[in-house]
Amino acid sequence: MTDIELMEKLKSFLGDKIVEMSNPGLRRVFMKVDPRNLAAVAVSLKKDLGLWYIAAISGVDVEDSFEILYHFGHDNGSLSVRTRIPKADPHIESISPIVPGAIFYERELQDMFGIIVDHIPDPRPLVVPDDWPAGNYPLRKDWKYERPPEIIPGGKQ
Amino acid sequence: MAVLKTVLYLLVYPGILFLFVYATFCEWFDRKVYARLQNRMGPTHTGPWGILQPVADFFKLMSKEDVVPEKADKILFTLLPIFGLAIVATAGLLLPIWHSNEAVVRMISFPGDIIVLLYLLSLPTLIFFLAGWSSTNFFSTIGGTRVLTMLFGYEVPLFMAVLSPAILANSWRLSEIALFYQKKPLLILPNLLGFVIALISVQAKLERTPFDIPHAETEIVGGTFTEYSGKKLAFFRLMIDIELVVSSGLVATVFLAGFPGGLWLGLLNFIIKTLFVIFFLSLIRALTSRIRVDQVVSFAWKYLAPLAILQLLVVILIKGLLL
Amino acid sequence: MKFTIPIGPQHPALKEPISLRMTVEGEVIRDADIRLGYNHRGLEKLAEERTWIQNIYLMERICGICSHSHTTCYVQGVEKLMEIEPPKRGLYIRTLVAELERIHSHLLWLGVAGHEAGFDSFFMYTWRDREVVMDILEMISGNRVHYAMNTIGGVRRDLDDLQVKKILDGLEVLKKRTEYYFKIGANEPTFVARLAGVGYLSKERAMDLCAVGPTARASGVTRDVRKDDPYAAYDETPFDVCTADTCDVLGRTVVRIKELFESYKISEFLLKSLPAGGIAVKAPKRAKPNEVLSRYEAPRGENTHYIKSNGTDKPERLKVRAPTLANYPATVEMLRNGFIADIPLIFAAIDPCICCAERAVELVNARTGEEKALRFSELRKLADERFKNPSLKRNAVWPF
Repeated sequence: MTDIELMEKLKSFLGDKIVEMSNPGLRRVFMKVDPRNLAAVAVSLKKDLGLWYIAAISGVDVEDSFEILYHFGHDNGSLSVRTRIPKADPHIESISPIVPGAIFYERELQDMFGIIVDHIPDPRPLVVPDDWPAGNYPLRKDWKYERPPEIIPGGKQ
Repeated sequence: MAVLKTVLYLLVYPGILFLFVYATFCEWFDRKVYARLQNRMGPTHTGPWGILQPVADFFKLMSKEDVVPEKADKILFTLLPIFGLAIVATAGLLLPIWHSNEAVVRMISFPGDIIVLLYLLSLPTLIFFLAGWSSTNFFSTIGGTRVLTMLFGYEVPLFMAVLSPAILANSWRLSEIALFYQKKPLLILPNLLGFVIALISVQAKLERTPFDIPHAETEIVGGTFTEYSGKKLAFFRLMIDIELVVSSGLVATVFLAGFPGGLWLGLLNFIIKTLFVIFFLSLIRALTSRIRVDQVVSFAWKYLAPLAILQLLVVILIKGLLL
Repeated sequence: MKFTIPIGPQHPALKEPISLRMTVEGEVIRDADIRLGYNHRGLEKLAEERTWIQNIYLMERICGICSHSHTTCYVQGVEKLMEIEPPKRGLYIRTLVAELERIHSHLLWLGVAGHEAGFDSFFMYTWRDREVVMDILEMISGNRVHYAMNTIGGVRRDLDDLQVKKILDGLEVLKKRTEYYFKIGANEPTFVARLAGVGYLSKERAMDLCAVGPTARASGVTRDVRKDDPYAAYDETPFDVCTADTCDVLGRTVVRIKELFESYKISEFLLKSLPAGGIAVKAPKRAKPNEVLSRYEAPRGENTHYIKSNGTDKPERLKVRAPTLANYPATVEMLRNGFIADIPLIFAAIDPCICCAERAVELVNARTGEEKALRFSELRKLADERFKNPSLKRNAVWPF
């Protein structure tokens, strides 16, 4: 389906759940939704539009909030669903019960940004060690890693 | 003097020293053929054409650190390689090649020695199983059970295939079987099917591709030998090499009319015929991929065992009609 | 009796560290669990502190086998951000290198599959012939692994007529050899017995679990970014999407061999219709605040980069999704109820690239949470202490 067809379908199925929608380039559609509607949107995308394939979930640290983008692929382009949650209360509903293939991306999101994904089927850490110190979320902008000073054997301190 | 002769007989020729030298040579031959079939060079560095590489490997392993797992049964774990080596070396003595004088013949050649040889060749399998089991490592344990599972597959076809020439020759004595086929070389032909079955079963007994399941490295690391290192591993490797020589010697004896021609010509015959068998074994190794353990058992009972029975029937018919 | 066997992080079947924990009952796998994180380098965080140009070379080092895939994916995203259009010839050469990379990756995979199945002769033969395409790549780019062909706005090296002729000759050789491998892969009885029916993944489950690349295509899912979302020169290139419907490892092998033939076809087409002109345009230093989603069909499946710029010469956010990560959920599904003997084959059949899938954490000691640098003299002391202790004392605590 072409971008225009996709956008028309989205409008008819999702209606007022869409906060804004844009088509910045060929075969790219971006759509913003409210985080509370996310699960309903995912169900509708899979059931009504046949978007079974999720390519990635990107988290972005934007000042006092997190932007989460769900990139769906279809047989003629892609759709990115954008949502925004406050940094003070970083909760998002899991879409893994609807799209099982999203589980690893959601776990990565938890590890990297400290976003709590509610109702995730498997909440264990994915990429950080089990005893990773709490409160360290590497991809947040304020997280800085200070490498300990290198000591050269036999050299000056 | 007699004692000295026996000691010489056991230690030098045809005892452990000769077996060691010839077994390492056979390993080199196998490796070289395998490598050339795969478009590689194989061993080239140690000795002329790398001929000393297996010896170098053996001594290198002997000098390596020897680790025994904390939880393993230490006595069993240590004794198994020595037992294994002793068993296959004993089996080597039964081959009808070293019959230079009558006294020796009387000592090691007797009616039924083919059964004893087959029995001695079955024992290494149990050694491997115990080695895997006593290591108490998951991979070793799985390897050990695979060894036993495979045993149920290939052992029966091997026995039936090897016994069919014995039935035709009407003897249970290796030297007499060989003598029978030396007199009537045409009768080797009816046993051709048995020869093929024996080759495949020996391949399985030696745990070489496609039957290298008990120590399939990509699945269960080293399998039965995962925990073995240093001297013990060196002994196991030497044991497998000697087992290769003895098994191919057995196949050559019963299917290829043994090794006639006295001491020196007999030795030459032995070398040519065992290398002939080993060449086939290397060929199988290069041309196949490893199969699963359940596939081994079903293959052995669906194809090998019925074919071995067919071979027995052919032999019995020939014996009834022609002899 | 159920027990758990660890496959990895160190295991002969795995060329990179990952931990697969298998709950087995006899020879049958009842459950599988995948644990990542042994190979993290913090590339996504690092990318935020590097300029657009520096990041090309950083992206190249995500993975060795698909180094061109990650740079192309990144570069074509950045080109959209900077609103520049690379010249036709540059795009053609970029596509050509991509296809040659696919050829080398698939030949490598065939060898690995042979090795995992215990068919070492197949492994030796395919890797010998892989040298042909490696030589071609070296001739084009000067490198065997990290080609460094891409730059923002085009490619860095041009092709001359002699090179074109040499590549065509090499492809001829490879075509013949691949036909031979196709015959072996589909006919050698012991090999087929190991592949057929192993690692079953139905079409519905492949779609549910969002499998990508040859793994999905072998389950009958017709998904190929080159066709669905054409980039570089693929919209002008005729080719077919290869699928199989056996849903097993044999299907994945067949799909990859068929894709090899398609890649030969594409490369020949590209070389014969190589347009004249420049190979690159000059790129600005900065990109306006914007965002872009870039997709690319790597040899292993779809590669996705999400790039956000903020007006400076550095990206605000660079998200990399490598194909292997997308295939892990499907792998768990495939491993269930298989045999232990099939673990390496099933796992290898997704063509795992573990370092691709892991990019994002700095080096931290797993036990204490802080990095500790040891002086050389301390190391010496530790070694001496160990040497003095009897070597058989295996329950000694490692003195850290």
